[in-house]
Amino acid sequence: MHLHLVDYAIIGLYFLFVIGIGFLLKKRIKTGNDFLMSTRNIPLWITSLAFISANLGAQEVLGMAANGAKYGLYTAHFYWMGAVLAMLFLGVFMMPFYYGSKARSVPEFLKLRFDEKTRTFNALTFAVMTIFSSGISLYALAMLMQTILGWDFNVSIWLAAGIVLAYTFLGGLTSAVYNEVLQFFLIVLGIAPLVYIGFQQVGGIDGILANVDNAKLHLWKGMGSAATNPMGTDAFSLIFGLGFVLAFGYWCTDFLVVQRAMISHNLNDARRTPIIAALPKIFMPLIVIIPGILLLALNNHSAAFDLPLNVNGQKDYNMVLPIMLKNLYPSGILGVGITALIASFMSGMAGNVTAFNTVFTFDIYQTHIKKHASEKHYLYVGKATTVVGILLSIITAYVARGFNSIMDLLQLVFSFVNAPLFATFFLGMFWKKTSSNGAFWGLLSGTGAAALTYSLTTAEGKGGSIANLHTFYSGTSQAFNIASISFVVCFIVTTLISLVTKPKPENELVGLVYSLTPRQRDKNRVWYKNPVWLAVIMLLITLFFNILFY
Amino acid sequence: MIMNKFFDLRFVIGIFFLAVGILLLLYSFTNPTVMHAAVNRWCGIVFMIFALIMIALAFGKNQSDKL
Repeated sequence: MHLHLVDYAIIGLYFLFVIGIGFLLKKRIKTGNDFLMSTRNIPLWITSLAFISANLGAQEVLGMAANGAKYGLYTAHFYWMGAVLAMLFLGVFMMPFYYGSKARSVPEFLKLRFDEKTRTFNALTFAVMTIFSSGISLYALAMLMQTILGWDFNVSIWLAAGIVLAYTFLGGLTSAVYNEVLQFFLIVLGIAPLVYIGFQQVGGIDGILANVDNAKLHLWKGMGSAATNPMGTDAFSLIFGLGFVLAFGYWCTDFLVVQRAMISHNLNDARRTPIIAALPKIFMPLIVIIPGILLLALNNHSAAFDLPLNVNGQKDYNMVLPIMLKNLYPSGILGVGITALIASFMSGMAGNVTAFNTVFTFDIYQTHIKKHASEKHYLYVGKATTVVGILLSIITAYVARGFNSIMDLLQLVFSFVNAPLFATFFLGMFWKKTSSNGAFWGLLSGTGAAALTYSLTTAEGKGGSIANLHTFYSGTSQAFNIASISFVVCFIVTTLISLVTKPKPENELVGLVYSLTPRQRDKNRVWYKNPVWLAVIMLLITLFFNILFY
Repeated sequence: MIMNKFFDLRFVIGIFFLAVGILLLLYSFTNPTVMHAAVNRWCGIVFMIFALIMIALAFGKNQSDKL
């Protein structure tokens, strides 16, 4: 792929603007709270778009286009089943506890509900996860730039890391959030023309129906058995593993996304943030999945859309979007498309780094190293942590270069950590007898059960390091089942230990447990300010699409 | 007050897309032989319309989301 001056000008303009936003926000940052928490002062439309954009990283944009070609329309389950329901649940039921408790982070909420050891365990695992995730984003960006543009790997890494560092260091979380909004529009407007041109070239819906295997153009058909659909998973694993455990584990407990809602003006805005974000999420498959399906159709007529082979001799589905850009975009809009990809990588990286510096500063440094320092001191710590976070991400990116399977490993780590964490939150918020010891040992057991399941099963040649007791049809199915098992183990262990240990007194649980917290009355609010009504509307739209594409 | 509007996030986003839109439009006229030149032209126009909407929203609101 060859870029022209106009393409470089657009990329350069984007870099200028993201750093400019950081620079303009610099004067706002005076305390650690300003830098790490935005002083809970961000408008609803910004928090909603940032909420969805923090998740719109490399894995989403490249990975879902890849899944679109691999699994077809079934990939939309990752949105309609695997995201929207959990986002609505977060807004309606969980946000009052997060926001109302005045906790500054998810680990801090765990401290308020349970105890210090549960908070520290979560803070440490989360900090490691965010650095890994940020480093992988950086590695993937550099690899992509090297493969499709011929840019030097080292230059790409240091340039991208330097720009993310510049705007997060200058403007902290606010800068990351504001840039996420710019990145959201850039990704949508940069990739949407690709879908339009693809549709034109393939001959519209009729062209897709004529050129793509019908088995890939449904949502639920063949879900009775893992052997009868392209995703290689059955309806139960999909609904329980993805729709309940993984989705709720990520969207309701991962501080990276929850943080975007927690910085809203007030509780009502915080509740509406994930619900309003659900609307673009419902339509996001149009931008990120359809290009994969279009490639399948276009590939029937032209070898230019052939996917290259990876090191294992299999089709490299991650190249779906770059191949579409290369073949369908002329220079000019190509610069916008490439900038959209760069924006998605940088958005993912900045989101992880800002979540990392908040959790490290509040939940590790302030808790275990220096408790009662000045606001200015925590501002310095937050800024120093940002630099350290970026440097650790760079090291991780270089480590990732030496290991082919590190991205798969990262996905597994997510299911090891997030799935049991949701069981802990679910019990903690809705059962007042859940004890601190029950939560801690449940979390440890759930994570251990996930690791053990992975070591005793295989899928697509991965896993089974101890023995192979079962082979899954696909890696996706394996991930869903590991998540389900770790959730169930955590749930059972937490319940059993809670029954024999002492819970916190009820007066300490007001605002943290559903049955002990006064309800917020939304009845008098106009429908678009009422989180419950908005959630019902989103639910109906999701249901409509599930029926339409059955 | 007017100066505040220039630091509204919507104004900043609007200016970015306006600049990109103008670049695409100019490029489509100066390089009409490039494959799919019309794509650049139409995308340039759409980006500029989007930019103008964002700028109008920034100026139309009572309280700005100042950077």
